[in-house]
Amino acid sequence: MAEAKVLEKKEPTFAFGKNERKLLTDPLDDNNPITIQVLGICSALAVTTLIFPSIIMAVAVVFVCAFSSLFTSILRNHIPKQVRMIVQLVIVAFLVTVVELSLKALNYPVYKQLAVFIGLIITNCIVMGRLEAFASSNKPWRAFLDGVGNGLGYGIILIIVAFIRELFGKGTLLAGTPIEAKLIGPTAEYFINTTESTYFGWYANNNLMVLPAAAMFIIGVLIWIQRSRNPKLVDIS
Amino acid sequence: MELFNVFIKAAFVENMILSYFLGMCSFLAVSKSVKTAIGLGLAVIFVLGITMPINWLINVFLLSENGMFGMDLTFLRFILFIAVIASMVQLVEMIIEKSSPALYNSLGIFLPLITVNCAILGGSLFMVSREYNFGESVAFGLGGGFGWFLAIVALAAIREKIQYSNVPPALRGLGMAFIITGLMGVAFMSLLGIDPSTLTK
Amino acid sequence: MHSNKYVLVFVFIMTTIVALVLSFMSIGLKGIHDENEAIFNKKAILSSIQSHLGENVKAADIPDQEVLDIFDNRMEQLVVDIKGNVIPQETVNASYKGGLAEHVDMKKEKKKDPADKMLPVFIYKKDNGEKFYIVSVRGSGLWDDIWGCIALKEDFKTVAGAAFDHQGETPGLGAEIKDNAGFAKQFSGKSLYNSNGDYTSVVVRKGGAVDKMTEVDGISGATVTCVGVSDMLYSGIQYYQSYFDKTKS
Repeated sequence: MAEAKVLEKKEPTFAFGKNERKLLTDPLDDNNPITIQVLGICSALAVTTLIFPSIIMAVAVVFVCAFSSLFTSILRNHIPKQVRMIVQLVIVAFLVTVVELSLKALNYPVYKQLAVFIGLIITNCIVMGRLEAFASSNKPWRAFLDGVGNGLGYGIILIIVAFIRELFGKGTLLAGTPIEAKLIGPTAEYFINTTESTYFGWYANNNLMVLPAAAMFIIGVLIWIQRSRNPKLVDIS
Repeated sequence: MELFNVFIKAAFVENMILSYFLGMCSFLAVSKSVKTAIGLGLAVIFVLGITMPINWLINVFLLSENGMFGMDLTFLRFILFIAVIASMVQLVEMIIEKSSPALYNSLGIFLPLITVNCAILGGSLFMVSREYNFGESVAFGLGGGFGWFLAIVALAAIREKIQYSNVPPALRGLGMAFIITGLMGVAFMSLLGIDPSTLTK
Repeated sequence: MHSNKYVLVFVFIMTTIVALVLSFMSIGLKGIHDENEAIFNKKAILSSIQSHLGENVKAADIPDQEVLDIFDNRMEQLVVDIKGNVIPQETVNASYKGGLAEHVDMKKEKKKDPADKMLPVFIYKKDNGEKFYIVSVRGSGLWDDIWGCIALKEDFKTVAGAAFDHQGETPGLGAEIKDNAGFAKQFSGKSLYNSNGDYTSVVVRKGGAVDKMTEVDGISGATVTCVGVSDMLYSGIQYYQSYFDKTKS
C-alpha cells in the first residue's frame, strides 16, 4: 500500500493508467449509477421515450457531472464546510444553466421537449452523489474522469431503455434525426379508423411503452439480468 | 374551490412519484420500512409546502420582467430556486433540532437528503411553467407533498410484505422495487380519467 | 472550520462570478434564442398547410431560411378583433412587441374577454393565386392548454389542414393529437357547416365519425382531450366569424 501511494505521487497530473481507466469503466457496469447505486432515476424515466432526446440528456449529464466534479475538486480545500452543500449546488446549477442556454441556441425543438428535465439535472443525485463521495476528496484530474465515467454509466442505461421504448412504443429508431429509421409497424402517417377498424401497418404501437411505468419495468428487468450474471451484486435484504 | 382542485389534482391525479416519477432516488432508497417512510414523507410535505410559495415570490418579484430589477432574469432561476431549497432545508433542520429533539432524531438523516429530491425542485419548476398564482402554488406544494407521502408509505408497506415472498434472488430488493413502482404507476393511471373540475360540483 | 467572514467573502465572490458569466451568456445568446423560437412557432403555423406546400413536405424539416422566405414572400399577417376589424400594427405593438400576427401570444389572449381579444390571421398565397386563411385557436385539454392552427379555404367553410400541440397531455393518449400525424390529417376537407348549413365546426367524435362531412375520429382513451379539441375549435373559429363575413363580401 505504501508503495502504491509513493507511485501515485510520482505520476504526472494527467496520467491515464490502470487506475484511471477503472474510474471510467467501473460505472459502466459493476458500479453503475442507476442500477447499482440507485442514483438519478427521475430523469431516466421521463425522457427515455425517444432515443435522440436521451442522447442529448446523456451528453448534458456527462458534461455537468464531469465539470462539476472538476470545479469542486479544484476548490475542495477552499470551500467552507458550513455552506458546502449550497456551494456545490450553485456550481451544478451554474453548469446546468449553461447547458440550458446552449441547448436553447443549438436545438430548440429538443429544448422544448426536455424543458423541465434539463433543470432537474441539478437534483440528479448522480451529480451530487459523486461530488460528495469522490470529487470533494480527490485530485481534479481523477475527479474529472470519475465524473465522465458516471455520466457515461448513466447515459448507457438511458440509451438502452430509450432503444427498447422507442422501438416497441413507436416502431422507429432515432426519430427526429436525419437518419431516422422506421423498423416495424406503421409509419408516422397512420391513424386507426375506429368505425371501419382498419389498421395501416402490421404492428400496432404498444402504448404501455410510451408511459413512464414502462421505464420502471425495463430498468427492473435490466437489474435482474445484471445481477443474475454477476451474483455478487445481489441484495442480501 | 379552485385551490381544493389543485390540491386533489397534485395529490392523486398528478402524483409526483407515480405519474411524473420525480423524487425516485430517496423513494427507492428509504422505502424499506414504513416507519422511516412516514418520517421522510412528512419532511417532504413540510419542505414542499414552504419552498413553493417562497420560490413563487422570488419568481414574480425578482426574476420576472415586471419585478424589482425590471429585467428578465430567468436565467438565474435554477440557482436561486436551489439555493432557497437548500437553505430552507437547513433552516428546517435547525428549527426541528431546537424545538423537538425527538422528532429530529427520527428525521435527522433524511432531512439533508430532501435538498436533492427532484420532487422539490420539480414542483417549483412545474409551478413556473403552469403559471400558478400564490394560493395555487401553496395548494400545489402541499398536495404534491401529500401525494409523495402516500406513495412512499404504500411502497414501504408492500416491500415489508414482499420480504416473505419467494422472489428470484437476482430480482430481490432493488429490482423488485422498480417493478412494484411500475405497477403502482399503472394503477394510478386509472385516476387519469378524473376531470378535476367535476370533483367539487 | 472557516471564519464567518471567509464564508461571506467566498459566497459573495462566487455568486458574482456565476451571475456575471451567466448574464453574458444569456445576453449574448438572446438573439439566437429569439430567432429559434420564432422559427419554431412559424413551423408550427406552416404545418397546418404542409400538404399544400408540396409533395411529402414536413413542416418540421423545412430549412430555417426557407421558412423565413415563405413568411416574407407568401404570407400576409393580420390581427383582427371580434367584430372583424383589422387592428392596426401600432395598437398591437403596444401589447406585443413587433405588432405582427406572429407576435400575438395566444396564452394571454385565451384569458381575455372575447370583446378584447386580438386574433391573429395568416394568409398564405399559393402560386396559382389560391389563398389559405390560417387561424389560431387555444383551449383546454385534460391537464393543461392545447392549441392549434386551422387552415381554411377561401370559402371559409372547408378546412384545408390543421396542426395541434399541447402543454402536457398524456403520452400515447391525449398527446396523440400532436404525435400522431394521422389525427390532424383527418381534418383536411372537412366542412365547418353541416348539410343544413348550420355552424358546427369540426367535431371530434368518440367511437368514430358519424357525419363524415363535419366529424373526425376521436382517439380511444383520450375522451377529455378530444372534447377539448372540439370545444376549442367550436369557440375558437367562431371568434373569427365576423372577419370571415367581411372578407367574403
